Amino acid sequence: MSTLRFIWDNFNEVLYLSWEHIWIVGIALLIATPIGVTLGVLITRHEEFASRVLNGANILMTIPSIALFGLMLPVLAIFNMGLGKIPAVIALVLYSQLPIIRNTYTAIKNVPPALVDAGKGMGMSKWRLLRELEIPLATPVIIAGLRTAAVMNIGVAAIATYIGAGGLGVFIQQGIARVYPEMVLSGAILVSILAIIVDGGMALLERIATPEGIRVQRRVSR
Amino acid sequence: MKNLSAKLYRIVIAVLILIAGVTFERTGLIELFSDPYEYPVLVELFLQHLFLVTLSMTFATILGLTAGIVLTRHRFRRYAGICMYVIGLGQTIPSLAVLAIAMSFMGIGIKPAVFALTIYSILPIARNTLAGITAVPPELIDAGKGMGMPPGRILMEVELPNAMEVILTGFRIALVINIGTAALAYVIGAGGLGDLIFTGISLMQTDKLLAGAIPITLLALFADFLSELLGVALVSKGLRLSR
Amino acid sequence: MITYQSVTKIFGKGKNTITAIDNVSFTIPKGEIVVFLGPSGCGKTTTLRLTNRLETLTRGSITVDGKNIMDLDVVQLRQRLGYVIQAIGLFPNKTIAENIAVVPRLLGWDKDRIAKRIDELLDMTNLNPELYRDRYPAELSGGQQQRVGVARGLAADPKILLMDEPFGAIDPINREEIQDEFLKLQAKLKKTVAFVSHDIHEAIKMGDRIAIFDRGRLVQYDTPEIILTQPKNKFVSDFVGADRALKVLGLMWVRDIINRKPKNIIQGSDSSQEALGFMTAEKFRYAIVVEQNKPIGFVMQKTLKYEQGPVRNVVEPYPLFVYENTQLRDVLSSMLMYSTPTFCVVDENKSLVGTVTYNDIQKAVKASYADETENVENEVAG
Repeated sequence: MSTLRFIWDNFNEVLYLSWEHIWIVGIALLIATPIGVTLGVLITRHEEFASRVLNGANILMTIPSIALFGLMLPVLAIFNMGLGKIPAVIALVLYSQLPIIRNTYTAIKNVPPALVDAGKGMGMSKWRLLRELEIPLATPVIIAGLRTAAVMNIGVAAIATYIGAGGLGVFIQQGIARVYPEMVLSGAILVSILAIIVDGGMALLERIATPEGIRVQRRVSR
Repeated sequence: MKNLSAKLYRIVIAVLILIAGVTFERTGLIELFSDPYEYPVLVELFLQHLFLVTLSMTFATILGLTAGIVLTRHRFRRYAGICMYVIGLGQTIPSLAVLAIAMSFMGIGIKPAVFALTIYSILPIARNTLAGITAVPPELIDAGKGMGMPPGRILMEVELPNAMEVILTGFRIALVINIGTAALAYVIGAGGLGDLIFTGISLMQTDKLLAGAIPITLLALFADFLSELLGVALVSKGLRLSR
Repeated sequence: MITYQSVTKIFGKGKNTITAIDNVSFTIPKGEIVVFLGPSGCGKTTTLRLTNRLETLTRGSITVDGKNIMDLDVVQLRQRLGYVIQAIGLFPNKTIAENIAVVPRLLGWDKDRIAKRIDELLDMTNLNPELYRDRYPAELSGGQQQRVGVARGLAADPKILLMDEPFGAIDPINREEIQDEFLKLQAKLKKTVAFVSHDIHEAIKMGDRIAIFDRGRLVQYDTPEIILTQPKNKFVSDFVGADRALKVLGLMWVRDIINRKPKNIIQGSDSSQEALGFMTAEKFRYAIVVEQNKPIGFVMQKTLKYEQGPVRNVVEPYPLFVYENTQLRDVLSSMLMYSTPTFCVVDENKSLVGTVTYNDIQKAVKASYADETENVENEVAG
């Protein structure tokens, strides 16, 4: 229909904005993941901080995204970074923390203690244990957390258009302002497709990352 | 109890952060609130926001609960997977997009906003209802059937009470997301606290910005806290004891 | 009364079918406990569940108190039958009182009647109503929960109870207790009970009759005594166990074989030499010594031989006494433990009522296997 026409006619724009969108989300995840995973691992080793860290991350996520932008603006405006891609990326990084930290924490905690015990008994050092046992077993769940974060970030990035970050939200914003329905719908559809593709892709990644042994275990127990 | 105090703690921390943020623009914000022209506008927007949330959550709860219950009935069990997948897809779609799509078909204003918010909030409720009911130990249902409880009784007195905790979690998640998404409803002409935030951003008026952002945040945190309270009220004491 | 007529149940369709129950017919008499017994998968639980239509009949019919179960509204049928399951199935979201009140509420009883009934049932199952009425299942032990399960099954005072391994989830010690309590209840209430079990001991203890199932067929349907003494085939005798002679003793009591007029009695105050004379004359190698009709021990001829004083100086005390309602299996066990072939039977005041000897027990066992032992003798002879 006319929406497809629009996409076809403005293909360059579509590509550019899509790329902008992916870039923002990608950078945010690239920054958020090491922070989140590290924090997640740290609190499994230092339980005392676990609830406080998780609570903090939870608060961050409870704050509606647009409100977070609103709260950050005055603070960042001081450094002249109130608008644009930077606050967007910062907000995305903050939002991603909860799913990543929580999934990392839960995943590592769920490694059967009997296995950890066996490993320790065999003389594996803490680092070894982490690298060869806990992380491989925890990986699928961690990736599930990344998946949640990625999909969520795509949504928030769309909103970030309103603080000048660009991305596919531009179609929606501009479309509404100019009363150009095809543009609005294109933006909505494109960002939805992006979200679905990323979700599916990460689901695939989840499956690939599951160590062969666990996949067999799951198949057998069904 | 632990959950309640944790939530309270969260609210306290958030309030502290907000106060810190506010001190940056202290003067502007308080002026705004005490301005006799602006104040009623603030209240009206807040009430608008509440209206959007309440209405859509009511619809979403009814629809979500029904969907979840229906999909656990024997006859429809095989459709559960597909239905959940489709509804899940709906949640993958970014909230702004859902609002935009609703606007494309229904115009601007409150109607498309409520519609979009309802659709968006159904998934967590439906999914958790399905999961919660499925998780009820089958021997309880067997005992109920064997004693001669009609299916309606079993649903109301055995399945739902035992699934309530999980269902409430879904409700809580939906509610918090709803409050946040309702802020975007401004964009399609439905008003609400989003008005203040977006206007504040485009006009670089921090007082307006905060007048919108703070109440929304507090609202979201408070809703989270309220949901815990709801849990204490609705989840049978016997179930809490059995944990 | 429950009648099973050519009952057949087949699971599955087309090529993959399992005949869970194959043409089973028998009747549970009113007021009796019939145990459905057999190994896993033999069809006992399925038969029970067919009775309250939790499973559907493939062929045949079941009548309850004269009415065909298919002619009754299924929900009403179930409300009229008590149903107690192994997993107990108490609703964790309801209090004990609310759990018990489920069926009475369905039947529309008024609040006062229900409240009274709840207290009545809790009393009957040895749970203090004041303490337990408003508790939740999570606060009770397994044994207590199961008692509530039984109370819940009896709540609407059904004439018939269906029980599916009701005591299976309880530890052996509590299980004995609950079984005893249930039997006491049954003596008062005289319900018609269908009781599924895989435990032969439980079946013998609880059942007035036992229906033994093997792979869907009803193999034998008799009283416990007959099943123990006249097993129909190898399956039954294997299932019952090679120690069935001992099991039979579990069904007999001292009062069945007591000798109420033993002659070999002497007084503790008698002089030993007189007593010895008495024993030699009557050819008693061994005598019971009593004082004021209470047994204090025994003496052998040789113990008295060199004694000058009264008998009581050399009397050997009995390790224990038995009562008229002591099970013969326990008596035999004690006889073996103490290498004593005779025990005195006493009453509550410890006065002598009679004696029971190893020979008496052996004779009793032999009598119940009369048919079998005849066969054995014939085989041995020629």
